[in-house]
Amino acid sequence: MAITTGEVGLSSVPEEAGGKGLKVGALGLVSSLVIGVASTAPAYSLAATLGFVAAYVGIQAPAVMLLAFVPMLFIAAAYYYLNRADPDCGTTFTWVTRAIGPKTGWLAGWGILVTDLVVMPNLASVAGVYSFSLFGAHGIASNSSGFWVTFVGVIWIIVMTAICYIGIELSARTQVALLSAEIIILFVFAIVALAKVYGGGVAHSVRPSIEWLNPFRIHPIGALSAGMLLAVFIYWGWDTAVTVNEEAKDARRTPGRAALMSTLVLLLIYVVVTFAAQSFHGVGFLTNANNEGDILNALGTAVFGSPWNKLLLICVLTSASSSTQTTILPAARSSLSMAVHKAFPKKFADIHPKYLSPSFSTLMFGAISVIWYVALDLISPGDVLANSILALGFGIAFYYGLTGFACVFYYRRHIFKSFKNFIFIGLAPFLGAAILTVLFVIAIFYYSDPANSQSGTQAWFPFIHFNFTLLHQHFYVKKGLGPPLVLGVGFLLIGIPLMFLWMARNRDFFRRDREVAESVDSPAPPLTPGVIPVTD
Amino acid sequence: MAGDIVLGYDGSDGSKAALAVAVSVARAFDAPLSIVFGYEPNPMGGETADYKAKLEKIGEEMVAGALAAAKKLDSGVQTEVLVVPMRPVESLLEAALERSARVIVVGGTGERPIVGAILGSVPHKLLHRSDVPVLVVPAGDE
Repeated sequence: MAITTGEVGLSSVPEEAGGKGLKVGALGLVSSLVIGVASTAPAYSLAATLGFVAAYVGIQAPAVMLLAFVPMLFIAAAYYYLNRADPDCGTTFTWVTRAIGPKTGWLAGWGILVTDLVVMPNLASVAGVYSFSLFGAHGIASNSSGFWVTFVGVIWIIVMTAICYIGIELSARTQVALLSAEIIILFVFAIVALAKVYGGGVAHSVRPSIEWLNPFRIHPIGALSAGMLLAVFIYWGWDTAVTVNEEAKDARRTPGRAALMSTLVLLLIYVVVTFAAQSFHGVGFLTNANNEGDILNALGTAVFGSPWNKLLLICVLTSASSSTQTTILPAARSSLSMAVHKAFPKKFADIHPKYLSPSFSTLMFGAISVIWYVALDLISPGDVLANSILALGFGIAFYYGLTGFACVFYYRRHIFKSFKNFIFIGLAPFLGAAILTVLFVIAIFYYSDPANSQSGTQAWFPFIHFNFTLLHQHFYVKKGLGPPLVLGVGFLLIGIPLMFLWMARNRDFFRRDREVAESVDSPAPPLTPGVIPVTD
Repeated sequence: MAGDIVLGYDGSDGSKAALAVAVSVARAFDAPLSIVFGYEPNPMGGETADYKAKLEKIGEEMVAGALAAAKKLDSGVQTEVLVVPMRPVESLLEAALERSARVIVVGGTGERPIVGAILGSVPHKLLHRSDVPVLVVPAGDE
């Protein structure tokens, strides 16, 4: 039975076509740009973090927005090069497994899963709060842990999970339209706000100052670190722009351009909107507990008035929906990936016969998200938004950092072969990973004090207390730990016993050997032959 | 010139019915038959590598099954199979273009009613976008 293969262009059965053939589903510049920016979800990211960033670093928020981009840019270089060498086998999980080893790789995969899980309550609450604000039910919206917000949030998770399960995708054109609307509305908001500030007569307004971009005015270092971890979150997802670009139509130019353009778009949005937001009513308005949870609603109403403020609400909701999607999809695909490599129960590799989605992985993630959201609402009423968003930075820093180190380690034989190699696969990924590691460690100490966690006086594990001095800094934990620390680091730590539990059940995955890149440009062999069977 | 019969195949009942019709159409025109399975993970969210590989494998198994079924119906028809890394509609249009297709054959709606209702089904989109005739075969018409 001969299988006739297609010509180049329609890659048919790959072995016979000699490699993967041409990628027909090539992405143009606009699509790559849209995927990068939409995955980052600027309106939602701002809605979720603006108030908290201001609470930590005050008027220097724009500086933090700029500064946080540096490690992201460096890590993106790692993603780009890891992906370029082997676009068909690379995900964060597999890359770390190859470069550093299976145990670390397993924990990196776990890091992705729990980071995605930690953000879900935040997405769901934001969706709930802004939905009620949209329909004018401000009383309900103001209680972000109330029954109705949680109810809508749960429905939100269920609907978004169903969308990912069934595989509903927006057409490229619809995505471009939605994203353009989001960006335009954010800029119009910033321009109107700034115009009103300069026009005068706005209560507590502050004229923008270039000094707001000066990161050296942020004290103490713990506040800077907390602000940075929050701001790292607003760029979370941007790396997708770099990795999907492997399939770009003009592979030499499109990837670089799309990454550069999405960078500029995001940087501009975040800096301009932050400038406008804090100059309008001052920082006090942003950090006011009544506004913190739905800051873009509060500001939108003040800047636009009714009914134009609704535009901003709709744009937060569409942004949150794409962000929820770009949380569920990679989570489900990561657990699928782990299952395919026998690092997770086989069931997680199931594909739905009709919808072709990772069926079990998607449903499990949706179900656990709902349980976790409701649980978090019950154990920290009123602080779901703060706790989830502050905890998130730990997970992102953890697995992005590992990816950066993996890149350096994997290419260690090639770093010094050329100046370009040294910068892009050596220095940049290493610095990115190092910065994230430092932020991670400082934030651990900073958040260990519940007073620094924005959720006020709530302390978890009150029996824990210690103090010590390190590098002339005194660290005290008087009574208990801040919830963001417990959530952010706790979830990562749970991975360690779970990994050993899985090892006891199935050692196949952990028998893998470490690998090192043979070359920077040629693809790596799919998987170590004989060491790990890919098929189930 | 007047080229292939292009069949969209996803293993559904509708596409199985379409397979039978496509084979007889290919026989009637004495034209080669291209069986196409299109897949493309949503690029949003990344992390597609292992998922894509898995979909590709499913696609290969699916078209291999379709090829066997086609040969069983009529072993004289020259048949090829294509696994195309694009969305179903795009992969059919691309295959039709590259093969200068005479007609595209697909199964009728009903397989993914929810998606069909919200975003339009594959045959519905094909009818709007294809430059060549589209033959829609209702399920259960074997």
